[in-house]
Amino acid sequence: MILNVDLASDVPIYQQLRDQIVEAIADGVLAEGSSLPATRALAADFGINFHTVNKAYDLLRQQGLIQLNRKTGAVVTTTVADPLFSADWTARARTLLAEAVARGLSPEEVLESCRSILDSFGTTQPEETP
Amino acid sequence: MTVAIVLSAALAALVLAIALVLPAINSPTVPFGVRVPAQRADDPTVVRQTRVYRWRVLLSGIVAIGVCLAIYGMTGETLLLPLSVLVLVGFWYGCFFLANHEIRAAKAAGGWYEGVRQGIAVDTELRTDPPRFPWLWLAPALIVTIATVVIGVISYPSMPDVLAVHYGAKGIPNRLAAKSIGTAFSLVFVQIGVTALLVGIAAAILFRSRPDIDPAHPAGSAHWHRRYMLLGARALLGLLAMIDLAMLGSSLLMWTGTVTPWAPLVVVLPILAAVAVAVVVFARNNRARDEGEEDTGLTHREDDKYWRSGLFYVNREDHALMVPRRFGLGWTLNFGNPKAAMLLAGVVALIGLVITLRFAG
Repeated sequence: MILNVDLASDVPIYQQLRDQIVEAIADGVLAEGSSLPATRALAADFGINFHTVNKAYDLLRQQGLIQLNRKTGAVVTTTVADPLFSADWTARARTLLAEAVARGLSPEEVLESCRSILDSFGTTQPEETP
Repeated sequence: MTVAIVLSAALAALVLAIALVLPAINSPTVPFGVRVPAQRADDPTVVRQTRVYRWRVLLSGIVAIGVCLAIYGMTGETLLLPLSVLVLVGFWYGCFFLANHEIRAAKAAGGWYEGVRQGIAVDTELRTDPPRFPWLWLAPALIVTIATVVIGVISYPSMPDVLAVHYGAKGIPNRLAAKSIGTAFSLVFVQIGVTALLVGIAAAILFRSRPDIDPAHPAGSAHWHRRYMLLGARALLGLLAMIDLAMLGSSLLMWTGTVTPWAPLVVVLPILAAVAVAVVVFARNNRARDEGEEDTGLTHREDDKYWRSGLFYVNREDHALMVPRRFGLGWTLNFGNPKAAMLLAGVVALIGLVITLRFAG
């Protein structure tokens, strides 16, 4: 998996890391049970503070997307969405959709882009390494 | 004497060829060790400095070799010939530094990094699924070393009582030592030391180096880096096999008491050939190929401050032992890492050992 951090972005680095890992899970690049690098190793590769990576991993753990274990490190898990998550996610989606409508995008356009994003997930196959 | 001339000429030609080819095979976004955004890779300053650099290198080569040959013609001192290669390397660094300096100045004056979106890309698979050590490539070196030991043990009783442990310039032994395990197997110890060192360096490349992935084309860059690391490890192990072979050949000469003027060739030829092959392999794969990946709009972050004199990487915050060279082939040590000092000490100790065994006295 490639993680690409934009240093000029307004989005904090830990948030960028978390978002890209979530997208990789949705994309199927990270399957259930695949492991993520140790916090220190990932921080060293980025040349960033390991607390930043810790923060991203902690967010993912709270959201039930990874398990942190002293022995196995960070491992991707999939937990079924509970009602609490659905409500929270709907609220956030509402804001995002409202932005589109407020800027004058037609419901068809919004639905179309939602559909194409959903379709794009799972099309990226994990690359075979020689 | 002729041997020294031919070898020095070959070495000088190799150095000159690398120096002339490097600007074309190093990353286009790091011309002469200066990090520049992709849209500045073909800046007029860079193009002009590349041209000027090539002329300077060519001229320095002619001057260095010419002067050394002239002095050699007058004094007949063979030592001057390898020295000409060193002088050439010195000139080469001067040419590099001038180009580096000019491009850095243009970059600062033109504000090349203003408004550029800087990013860092990481390939997590290098850590979760690191490349495997090419153990198969270590086999030739091990077989040669074991063969040396076996031949040595079998022929030990029939070896002459006095062994030549050091040869003069014309291949005539000028230091002899009584036969003992230490003298007869001295080159086996060199084989073992070199094997340990090069396996260590290959492992450091595979597991303790930090890739320099281009955030503009991260997937292609990561893919290339993985390949380049494996290639580097294999090239080192191939070189190791040839060094061990050279030691075997030299041991055979010592054990049979053979005296020939071409004795130095037994050591130098296999090693020089292996170095030449390794250089060609590195040079051909030194630049990531364009795999048609879409540009992400990010540029590699400005990291010139960690590169002292444009060549030496010093970054205490970086835990990596090795990083890809900016100007040159292969990898360089992170001199900000204390472990790099240990590795350097190992190399110096080994070279010292070889010199005291073969050439000193």
